[in-house]
Amino acid sequence: MVGAAVQRQRAGRFVAMREGYGFLLPWFAGFFGLTLGPALFSLYLSFTKYDLVSDPRWIGMANYVRIATADAKFSQAMHVTFTYVFLAVPLKLAFALSIAMILNKGLRGLPIYRALFYLPSLLGGSVAIAILWREVFSADGLFNQVLAVFGIKGIGWVTTPETALYTLVLLTIWQFGSSMIIFLAGLRQIPQDMYEAASIDGASPRRQFFKITLPLLTPVIFFNAIVQTIDAFKAFTPSFIISEGTGGPVNSTLFYTLYLFQEAFAYFRMGYASALAWVLVMIIGSFTAVSFFMSRYWVHYDE
Amino acid sequence: MSERAEERLPGVQYSRWSGIRKHTMLCCVSLVMLYPLLWMVSSSMKPENEIFTSASLFPSHFDLSAYKRGWFGLDVSFGRFFLNSLIVSVLSVIGNVMSCSLAAFAFARLRFPGRHLWFSLMLGTLMLPYHVVLIPQYILFLNLDWIDTFLPLVVPKFLACDAFFIFLMVQFFRGIPRELDEAARIDGCSAWRIYWKIMLPLSTPVLATAAIFSFIFTWDDFFAPLIYLGDPTHYTSQVALRSFIDSTNQSDWGGLFAMSSLAVIPVFVFFVFFQRLLIEGIATTGMKR
Amino acid sequence: MASLTLNKIVKRFGSLQVISDVDLSVEKGEFVVFVGPSGCGKSTLLRMIAGLEAISGGELRIGSEVMNDVAPAQRGIAMVFQSYALYPHMSVRKNMAFALETAGLPKPEVEARVNKAAAILQIQNLLDRKPKQLSGGQRQRVAIGRAIVRDPQIFLFDEPLSNLDAELRVQMRVEIAKLHRELGATMIYVTHDQVEAMTMADKIVVLRLGKVEQIGAPLDLYNNPANQFVAGFIGSPKMNFLDATLLSSDETGSVVSLAGQSLRIPRGLAAVHEGRVQLGIRPEHAMLSSGDIALGQMEIVLVEHLGGNTLLYGKLSDGQTLTVQVEDQARLGMGDTVQIFANAARCHLFTGDGRAFAAV
Ligand SMILES: Nc1ncnc2c1ncn2[C@@H]1O[C@H](COP(=O)(O)OP(=O)(O)O)[C@@H](O)[C@H]1O
Ligand SMILES: [Mg+2]
Repeated sequence: MVGAAVQRQRAGRFVAMREGYGFLLPWFAGFFGLTLGPALFSLYLSFTKYDLVSDPRWIGMANYVRIATADAKFSQAMHVTFTYVFLAVPLKLAFALSIAMILNKGLRGLPIYRALFYLPSLLGGSVAIAILWREVFSADGLFNQVLAVFGIKGIGWVTTPETALYTLVLLTIWQFGSSMIIFLAGLRQIPQDMYEAASIDGASPRRQFFKITLPLLTPVIFFNAIVQTIDAFKAFTPSFIISEGTGGPVNSTLFYTLYLFQEAFAYFRMGYASALAWVLVMIIGSFTAVSFFMSRYWVHYDE
Repeated sequence: MSERAEERLPGVQYSRWSGIRKHTMLCCVSLVMLYPLLWMVSSSMKPENEIFTSASLFPSHFDLSAYKRGWFGLDVSFGRFFLNSLIVSVLSVIGNVMSCSLAAFAFARLRFPGRHLWFSLMLGTLMLPYHVVLIPQYILFLNLDWIDTFLPLVVPKFLACDAFFIFLMVQFFRGIPRELDEAARIDGCSAWRIYWKIMLPLSTPVLATAAIFSFIFTWDDFFAPLIYLGDPTHYTSQVALRSFIDSTNQSDWGGLFAMSSLAVIPVFVFFVFFQRLLIEGIATTGMKR
Repeated sequence: MASLTLNKIVKRFGSLQVISDVDLSVEKGEFVVFVGPSGCGKSTLLRMIAGLEAISGGELRIGSEVMNDVAPAQRGIAMVFQSYALYPHMSVRKNMAFALETAGLPKPEVEARVNKAAAILQIQNLLDRKPKQLSGGQRQRVAIGRAIVRDPQIFLFDEPLSNLDAELRVQMRVEIAKLHRELGATMIYVTHDQVEAMTMADKIVVLRLGKVEQIGAPLDLYNNPANQFVAGFIGSPKMNFLDATLLSSDETGSVVSLAGQSLRIPRGLAAVHEGRVQLGIRPEHAMLSSGDIALGQMEIVLVEHLGGNTLLYGKLSDGQTLTVQVEDQARLGMGDTVQIFANAARCHLFTGDGRAFAAV
């Protein structure tokens, strides 16, 4: 009696297992075959020297040691990437937030503005836009033509090492639309009666911004900052197109991912590139961890 | 939203000028932002000598010859590249929608041992930079002899490798009342039938959102085709554009702009017709584009 | 033979036990109502019967078969959900036909059964609408119709009326009762509303904190509640409980002292019990005149005129509060004092831990 009941219970659990794992079958194949497996293999490769032709040769920490101590190009890539990330992301978010604030004040035509501002962000990932940017900031490009109207003679912004990176920063800021939409959604979550209560208490708009809007928006700001930063660390296409794959001029746009790409697919140093990939994981991981730790001090959560 | 503009609260000073000032400012920002895009399109229709001599959006006369030059600017025509892009993108859409919705249904609705573990691992892959799996995947596809085919671009989509879409769908599925599944169970449905007859028909908004984003991401993808496609007849439009810059020694600007304009058209079309869906998708999931 | 038997049914969510040792036997054709405060486990119990929750312990039989691990669709049950759970993308017809189509019934039969159910519920004219185009009451009917089509042995209802407005609720209550008579099916009905329980049930199961407090016919629960919880839960307005001291108790009755008066109540407890007890009097059983026991003077604090009757809230001389319901429209106001009487036979006694004294 009891035995039979137990057996049927197992049967029920078996059905649940079969259903659950059945639906996950494609995902499992992808997860083990294309994500977890490759990730572990790449970890292994990062301790080897491997050129795709001969077998991987175990060299211990040598790749990492070289990255940490003897690779000037790595330092340059780090320098470029960090400069880019820490300029582009805050500026983009600040811009997105300001525009969202203006739009949120019950302005007529909001859907139109929202759509117009979103367009660059939607198109921005493509090669076409990177090409466009290159030509806008070339020596005789659109930007200099506009400057010429004011009698200023511009330089070749993308071909000058001192300015090339900043054109990429500008390209990123130009794509502020999606962050703006997220901010708008966040602003709409703030209960209107909070402002009404504050108005009745006589708080000025300025005070309302700093005492209500900003604190209540910190979770959204935090979220946006994390997503955008991680994304910025992984940026590739614009620098590849603008520099024609070189990271130039003079490595001034050598993004981390571009350097990784060169090591892997131009020099076929697969072991070294794998180590670079894991260093990127560590950078992004520790950045995220630190952000979450710091968020306790400035992000305001209900509860 | 626009109704709110009409409302006037008592005792608050409304300045008509502040509204006009804001509109003026927003229009200026819009113009500055969109000018490069308009410039690209208009340059593609300008006579070659006007592109870098005038910032104006209006050509002295419309000249569409750049489209013809660009189309045949490489050894293989752009028709081929756009077709390749279309094939890869459509297959990716199908793969992503199918495989991700299956996984999302399991995570959102089925109770099986280990689901919490797998779900957290799935979320973990959201954070994992693609570059970590890039090289072993390349080696794998190399050994499978898939290099220079569309398979490396498409097969991962059928294996639910874009965890982001799983996440998007899980969020949506969770919003569908569980009682519907339960009613269906009582009505005798298997998990598969619930998925197929109840869940999917009720999820068209999120499936459409996932499909559109999937299309756009794949259409715009540069990295994977750059690595995996070698033969120019297999190029997608993005890789083709890039080799256009190399090959023409930067002389045929009109052709380059013409092909660039064509390359953004599909995305632009989605923008025009599905703007609502895209904006809602971003607002609810906080994605990056 | 019983149509449904629960034997020591237990439900645990992790370490939290929400249903403890529930025993119940439901006869064929019976209308059973699970009633209890929100969160007491009514839905959980019902869902275990339906097969939507796994049973952690005990045995569930439908007919003579153990059903603990049988899939919901094979249990011969149908369920009506609080939210109706109509498939939003299907027409009413499709909604009702869905289970039959899933079971692979031939088309003509599906159609015949849908039409028959629609006729019973008088929703023939709604068959081609989508749920969104229906009013709350109509959705309710469709949900019931979806259950009827399957011709189940047992209907399960989980608070089916709580999303309707008061008027419709009364109307649907009558209709479900009528449906029960017509179909002659076993029905199990969950509600937190004791009025629904009283009016519809053949048998009420009162639950609290996952335990059965009492099972019985509506009037049995009203007249002889097994404990103070049931006494308080069944009946509206709620029964008054007055602190009293038990002076003596035997099989012929008990004597209690309340505000200095000795009252003889014809209820007793086998084990002799002394000390503090609760004297229970329903508001409708307290009177302003002519009872066989007197509770003394009450000062009126608040009067509620309901038209047909009047509720008086007041304080007895020892400060205890009391609610009295009097027929018709009493010309009394705040501050007035009245004498309160009751019939001893309609009074209840409860021990300090809530057990009821039995009627003698
Ligand atoms: N899936 C669940 N996980 C954990 N606790 C649950 C779950 N479902 C119900 N409970 C708990 O079980 C108790 C009974 O719930 P329920 O049966 O819904 O009560 P009722 O229907 O009587 O209001 C509640 O305390 C509830 O919090
Ligand atoms: Mg309930």
